[in-house]
Amino acid sequence: MPYDAAARRCARHASRPGSGCDSVGQVEPAPHDTREHGGLDPYLRCAFAGAGKTLAGVLDACLVLHSPQGCHGLIRDALATQRVDFSEAQVVSSKLCETEIVYGGEERLRETIREARSYGAPYLFVMSACGPEVVGDDIAAVCEAMSRECGVPVIPMECAGFRGNEHQGVDIALEKLLDFGAREAMPKVPRSVTLIAPHASANPAWPADLGWVRRVLGEMGVTVVSVLTHKQDMQGIARTPAAETSLLLSHDAGAPTSERLAEQFGVEPVCRELPLPIGLTNTKRWLEALAQRFDAAPVAERLIEDGHRNVIRAIRLRGPNIEFYHRVEAAIAADATLGIPFLRFITEDLEGVPSAVFLRSCSQAARGVLARELEELDLTPEVVIGADAYAMKQGLRRARPDCVFGSLVEWQLGKELGVPYCFRVISPTSRFQMTDRPYFGYEGLINLLEILQNEHQDRWRSRIRRYEAKW
Amino acid sequence: MDRADYILFDGTLAEYLRRVEAGELASKLQASHAPPCKFQTAAAVISGINNVVPIVHGPRGCAQSLRGTRVAGCQYRGRPYEPTLCTALDESQVVFGGEGKLARAIVEADRRYNPDLIVVMSTCCPGIIGDDIEGIAEQLRSQVRAEITTIRSEGFGGDFRSGHEDAFRAIVDLMDPPIETIPYTVNLVGARVGPSYTEVREDIQELQDMLGQFGAKLHSVIAGGCTLAEVKRAPCAAVNTSWCFDWGRRIGLLMRERFGVPFCESGLPYGLGATADWVRKIAAPLGLSAQAEDFIARESERIEPDLEEAKRLLAGRRALIETGPMRAIALARMAAELGMQGVIFNMHPYTLRERKEAVQFLLDSDQNPRVLLTRGAFEMGSYSASKQTQDEMEAFLGDAQDWVYFGSPLRFPGVPLVNLATEIGQPHFGFAGVQNIARRAASAMRHAHRERSGLMRQAMYGVAIHGDLF
Repeated sequence: MPYDAAARRCARHASRPGSGCDSVGQVEPAPHDTREHGGLDPYLRCAFAGAGKTLAGVLDACLVLHSPQGCHGLIRDALATQRVDFSEAQVVSSKLCETEIVYGGEERLRETIREARSYGAPYLFVMSACGPEVVGDDIAAVCEAMSRECGVPVIPMECAGFRGNEHQGVDIALEKLLDFGAREAMPKVPRSVTLIAPHASANPAWPADLGWVRRVLGEMGVTVVSVLTHKQDMQGIARTPAAETSLLLSHDAGAPTSERLAEQFGVEPVCRELPLPIGLTNTKRWLEALAQRFDAAPVAERLIEDGHRNVIRAIRLRGPNIEFYHRVEAAIAADATLGIPFLRFITEDLEGVPSAVFLRSCSQAARGVLARELEELDLTPEVVIGADAYAMKQGLRRARPDCVFGSLVEWQLGKELGVPYCFRVISPTSRFQMTDRPYFGYEGLINLLEILQNEHQDRWRSRIRRYEAKW
Repeated sequence: MDRADYILFDGTLAEYLRRVEAGELASKLQASHAPPCKFQTAAAVISGINNVVPIVHGPRGCAQSLRGTRVAGCQYRGRPYEPTLCTALDESQVVFGGEGKLARAIVEADRRYNPDLIVVMSTCCPGIIGDDIEGIAEQLRSQVRAEITTIRSEGFGGDFRSGHEDAFRAIVDLMDPPIETIPYTVNLVGARVGPSYTEVREDIQELQDMLGQFGAKLHSVIAGGCTLAEVKRAPCAAVNTSWCFDWGRRIGLLMRERFGVPFCESGLPYGLGATADWVRKIAAPLGLSAQAEDFIARESERIEPDLEEAKRLLAGRRALIETGPMRAIALARMAAELGMQGVIFNMHPYTLRERKEAVQFLLDSDQNPRVLLTRGAFEMGSYSASKQTQDEMEAFLGDAQDWVYFGSPLRFPGVPLVNLATEIGQPHFGFAGVQNIARRAASAMRHAHRERSGLMRQAMYGVAIHGDLF
């Protein structure tokens, strides 16, 4: 008997409009420009992972996972992303089993918090996963009681995977961190900034981008009050309201935090309307906007002049074949944090033509930036937001680009589809890196050219030996 | 450090198992040393079938480990990029049910990817809210070209081994009854695709090569890169054997029960005696015992020089073994063959409890080595705790010069160290494995006088260093 979606919907889910049943019968994809949104083979992880990535950036925190043991894998990745020394990682899990799902896991959580307390962390973040949130464990009440018992803050983080994707998880955790750590307004630190969501980036070496931003701010005499989050202690997070300004370092997450800080504490967002500083023009504009806010035009001029000169000099000395990119059709397969600035980098610096843009994510706030960039650059590529791997493959098949700026996944797909060049610049790349090197700024531009050059050369390396040596 | 301060158990494996089962040694385990959940092990098994589309019915985070496995298959096992579908449940579906989304995903999976098999895997959320994944699969079966199967693989639903056992059960359900028994054919069962130290290509290849040496023929490796067609005709093999007893036992017993395929129960083919046992148990039901004895004699003679050299260097010493539990037990037997007394160090109670059936089988086969458990086993996971284990090991070994350590070079026992890091890329299984381990043991003894790397030791056990790189 054939499956009758409509009948099933009526029978089982008549009053369950969110079950997805309303679209069961819609087997055929939607029209071209919208069909790939969302998707079944997503790149992004869940909210639990995003929250973990954020909390792993808080120094001395002990993470208490109220979850089955498998969820720890996401936190292990989060610790690596935030470059947490394995010697200092403090993670415990309640390792929920069927019993706790049936009878509730609150007692198990209490035991786990007591165990976590034995590590001596000054505060504990309790991250709840899907199971305990669905069965209704009262995590907030347990945390409140255990705070009293343990004598340290035990902070509930309701960040179950079903609450959204990893970028939404970043926003959930930032929101809770501010709830807990930055409640009151305080006197402003002159010429100061808080840096938001540097870790919500698909640059596999994103801490170097943060490092570049900090160096630039230092040159301009701007004090960084807090970083939300990377190696940031809770005292720093508590000082966040003292920042005069905020700098959002992601086009994928952090915008709600930026807006909240503006509304609640008068922290002024800067550079919000600009693409992040990747490539010559983006970097120049970003530095100039920053300098304008902090009255540091001479510093910015010097940074721009020196940086520009260094890039030119590096190209002259090393001779990457930048001529390759002239009017080649390039597909961008990235997050918005890198994908949006890549548009101008490819178009202006490399003279390429972005013919397709597949963004695995893009915050609402950044969509305006994307639209303006396309308009200013006079580009009309196919744009897919929320692309999954299927959308990516179909899109590449349609676009037939000369090259792809993407990840390992597009590298594999590109090989199947006969795309001549696939540059692995987006996480995951499968490239082992001992040091982090930025994409931001002039140094970042040089790094990108180096990566592209090596990938280009790899394309031409011999894969077979045509005859044996005689010796 | 006083022994009583750090030694929690020192006795035989049989006694250890008894105390673990009695709950006298609590199975406390830090998160960072938690084994994978049921879903993750089930996913690893499913990934061993070609052209399968798994549909992870749950939030998107659950799909990531499986996706990592499949991308690695693409990178290192010559597979094409294969999708890892996920229904990406959100709050709305958690409240109202996610069956509709699952149904749509199944239809889309069939249409988009043209798979041979669709495997629906449930995770915690749908398991709790009660989505009827079997019902959905059943209703869609006639509407899709691919075969569909389901696995209840909620992360909370069992320990890690229940995941692979349920996945193998689902695979057995896909098999057709045998229409014939193909003489001399052997299935290697219990395999899966996934990064596992003892599952590098070399080990499987070595076992395949060995079968051919005494007249047996490999039928299929279930499920290590097999097709659905191979799964279906797997019961036509004359016998089943496992490459890893712990992983293969369940599917071996199931196929024996369901299809009457004999299962050759033996431990890991790891060490001379164990490898010979493995060969004999396969050969006997195939009527190839004479050929097998010839093969064993040939191979024993071939590897004798390396084995004798290892015995010369190692005999009379004690072996401290720190590896996974099944391998550790096999190594203890191998140590005895080398004239050593084997002691297994920090086999965690949790991991023993999970494998108690397989361990009991080995105990019944008179393998009952000494086991040592220290306090550090319960503190593993953070650097300082790992250092605790290191300190305890050093205290235990003291100034004794007759120990040899078998395990990872990340440990600094202060005695000769036999490097068992399988990334070296040579088999540890079979006769070639005996030869390789013997060579490494001999190398450990010959180079025991050399200083260990201060760099490596500081990285593992030095003081914490703060700040960014450069």
